[in-house]
Parts: sequence; structure tokens; C-alpha cells
Amino acid sequence: MKQHVALHVATWLLLRLVPKDLRESLLGDLTEEYVWRTNGASPSAARSWYLRQICASFPHLLWLMITRSTWFPTLGVALVAYVAVGVVQVIVYLAIPSSAAPTYSPLGLFVVFPLVSIIGYVAEYFRRRAALLLSGMMLAAITALTLLGTENVPFWYRLAYFVVGPAAVLMGGALHSSSATRS
Amino acid sequence: MKRREEPLGSLEHIVLLAVMRLGEDAYGTTIRREIENATGRDLSVGAVYATLVRLEEKCFIRSSEGEPTAERGGRAKRFFRMTADGKGVLQNAHNILRKLSTGLKDLEAT
Repeated sequence: MKQHVALHVATWLLLRLVPKDLRESLLGDLTEEYVWRTNGASPSAARSWYLRQICASFPHLLWLMITRSTWFPTLGVALVAYVAVGVVQVIVYLAIPSSAAPTYSPLGLFVVFPLVSIIGYVAEYFRRRAALLLSGMMLAAITALTLLGTENVPFWYRLAYFVVGPAAVLMGGALHSSSATRS
Repeated sequence: MKRREEPLGSLEHIVLLAVMRLGEDAYGTTIRREIENATGRDLSVGAVYATLVRLEEKCFIRSSEGEPTAERGGRAKRFFRMTADGKGVLQNAHNILRKLSTGLKDLEAT
């Protein structure tokens, strides 16, 4: 009885990974061969074959689901945009001479945030919701740096990055969405 | 949408050959058994379906739903047919293998 329940649960889980239009045929194929094996061999051997099939199918169908999902390319775009934000930060701080502004200065932020906003715009251009994902990644990174970082960074500076950074990305994304809707 | 230039993976190659061999009777179970008989590999149904989905996306095969049958618990079969693009990519792969293996005495001996 327990084995039957396990088979049903495993089958149900497996079918969540299969494209909807293929669920019926895949389940039909499994049933057809299971019945054929039950007639030819012992029912327990057929059941263990069925369970092996389900277990061996999981990685293939999971990978298929990941590669076909819409969020995978979005994650890729957001990651590239995240790297771009880092590069922009480095370039801006190298470009501003330390005599003109100290390491943590509003001047740097005034230059960085519009550029970050443009990155959000471009990310949204390539993939819908990439800007949202990027702002989430920035929030997570700033939170982690605040909690784990040992560097003595002024509070206002952290707050600016915590609020204005993700907001600038979202603004860029929203700008693209609204211009795309208008056109 | 023609995508003949798409590369063919080794499992895709095998599944495509099985679809071609089976002709009108190519569906999940028969494809799996054909491969098992030819290679001795006990492929999972998930591996076969994942490959079939990719081949269909590359336009090398197309699928259609059959009638439900009792031995399948009233579920319909999905039949797979090779397209002209699929045949082309198989011919291309076959020609490459033939050219590369011609004159290889070690291979001829086996």
C-alpha cells in the first residue's frame, strides 16, 4: 500500500516538470510499459522498474524545465547588469580624483546612480523584469555587506546605496516599460 | 522556421534515428525500446521526452496526438514524425561520419 502511495506521489511530482501538452502521453507510456512488465514479470519487479524510471527521469526533465523557463534568461541578463553596475562604480571612483572628493562622497553617488538607472533601463530592454531582479540582487548584496562587512562606511552612504541604488534601477526599468507601452 | 544549422547532440542523434526507423509507429515507448534494443542502454522515459522536446523545438520532428487506448489507462499516445529538416540534419551527420571514418583501418577491422 505504502509503495503504491510512493509511486503516485513520485509520478505526481515528475509530471510537474513535464510540459502540459506532454503529460498525458508520458504518463500513458509509463503505464503501458508498467502493465506490460506486470504481465511478463513479477509485480514488484515492475514497480521497482517504474520507480527507477521516475528517479532517472527527474534530472532530465528538471534541466529541460530550467532551460525552457522564462526566468533563466532573465537571471542571466540581471547577472550581467549586476557586473556592469560594479564596473561603473569602479570606473567612476577611479575617474573622480581623491582631491576633488573623498572616498565616500555625494559627488560619486550623483554620478553613479543615473548610470545605474541607465543599466536598469538597458536590462529591462533585453528582458522583462530583469530590472526588478537586479534591484533585488543589489538589495541582497548591500544587506550582506552591511551585516558582514568590516569596512567603516558612513551610515548615510550605506542608506543611500540601500534605498537609492535599487530605486534607480527600478526607475530605469519603469522608464523602459512605460516607453515600450506608449510605442 | 527552418533551423537546419542547429547542432545535433549524441542522444538527439540516436533518438532521431529511432524515430526514422520506427516511421508511423514512433511514440515514447517504442522509441525507448528501439534504443534499448540497439544500444543496450536502458534510457529513462524522461531522457527520451526531454530529447524529443528539443528535437521538436529545432524543427527536426513534429508530433501529433493519437487515440486513447485501454492498455495505457485511457491515455493518448503522442506520435513523432521526422521532418525534412530532420532528415537533412541526419544525412549531413551521416556524411560527416562516413568521410571521417573512410580509410581508418582500425575501425574497418572491428
